[in-house]
Amino acid sequence: MTDTRATATAADRMDTLVGSLLLGGVLTSLGLIITGMVWHRLRTGTTMLDQTLVGHDVVQLLAADLAALGEGAVRPRLLVSLGIVALLLTPYLRVLASMLYFAFVEHDWKYTGFTAFVLLVLTYSLVLR
Amino acid sequence: MTLGPLLVLSFVAGLVGALAGMGGGVVLIPALTFAGEDIKRAIAVSTISVIATSSGAASAYVRDHITNLRVGLFLEMFTIVGAIVGASLTVASSTRPLFVLFGLVLLASCLALWLQRHTPWQSPASPDRFSRWLELEGQYDDRASGRTIAYRATRAGFGGPLMFGAGLIAGLLGIGAGALKVLIHDLVMGLPPKVSTTTSNLIIGVTALAGTSVYLAAGLIDVNLAAPVIVGVTLGAFAGTRILLRVSNEAIHRFFQVVLLLLGTEMIVRGLRGRG
Repeated sequence: MTDTRATATAADRMDTLVGSLLLGGVLTSLGLIITGMVWHRLRTGTTMLDQTLVGHDVVQLLAADLAALGEGAVRPRLLVSLGIVALLLTPYLRVLASMLYFAFVEHDWKYTGFTAFVLLVLTYSLVLR
Repeated sequence: MTLGPLLVLSFVAGLVGALAGMGGGVVLIPALTFAGEDIKRAIAVSTISVIATSSGAASAYVRDHITNLRVGLFLEMFTIVGAIVGASLTVASSTRPLFVLFGLVLLASCLALWLQRHTPWQSPASPDRFSRWLELEGQYDDRASGRTIAYRATRAGFGGPLMFGAGLIAGLLGIGAGALKVLIHDLVMGLPPKVSTTTSNLIIGVTALAGTSVYLAAGLIDVNLAAPVIVGVTLGAFAGTRILLRVSNEAIHRFFQVVLLLLGTEMIVRGLRGRG
């Protein structure tokens, strides 16, 4: 009895974590993109961003963004690019969090395996090609 | 297209999509192509905006403990592979078949809305062994009736492969394909309607991410298009959900059926004439 109740509470906490992660990710992304677009408009008077995305996968995108950030070159385009990266990472982190939950809280190896498969396919398609 | 019109168009697409209970993609993609955008780039940018709308909607349902994470994760194994295959097909395809296929899916959605019946949900008698092994069960508090509804899903062995097809269409055409996913959850797996729609929402986000990765690698995602579309569609969907709480469902469905019929026919005609 206590055991099922403990699991139920853990499942509730998991729901809250996943829900907050999704909402936080989308809001962060929108915030960054909107700020970048407005800033760009104010600074240049035009609405077209000067460049396309740097890199063709998430890691390259993130690396280019972080490098720019490291140089202190916070430009409107960087914010927009970071916003898009944040959006792409949102469902990815949700799956990662689910896997850790199934493994370390529920000790449910069947679903740890399923989630690991999803994570592996996503990682392959986002990064490894 | 410049930023202003692009924002307005995306906002309207998100709004209309949410009002109809569908994503923004079904309106956004035809609208972008009518405005002169290349259909592949329109599909790519729609896919990325689907991540935002579905994750935003899913967050509320997950926190209300209606979404079934196990059902979602099991079915995601199939949809993401489908989405990667579908998006790869789009990248390799010429544009005319995409117009025709998109039009056909719009007409099918129109038909599905027409045929939608409101039969009360009944729990399937007894799940098969595979579904029991997967532990696809759960319960949620139904606010309308004030009761706790317990359910067990069945026929997961059929549902999974069918979801590969739903993922394929989602990746191929840059839409959520939520209606198709809900149909599979309802009719094949016997999930209660609330659980099907909310779990489908969760699956759509990850499926769209898999599709996006292919379009990103193919260089089809343009920031100048993606940034305003993501913002417009998401805000439009948010506004649509708010309005939906206050107006009649019936009138909206009729209106949306007409929209789907017109857009679908136009897309097919354009595909056949070969003027992408």
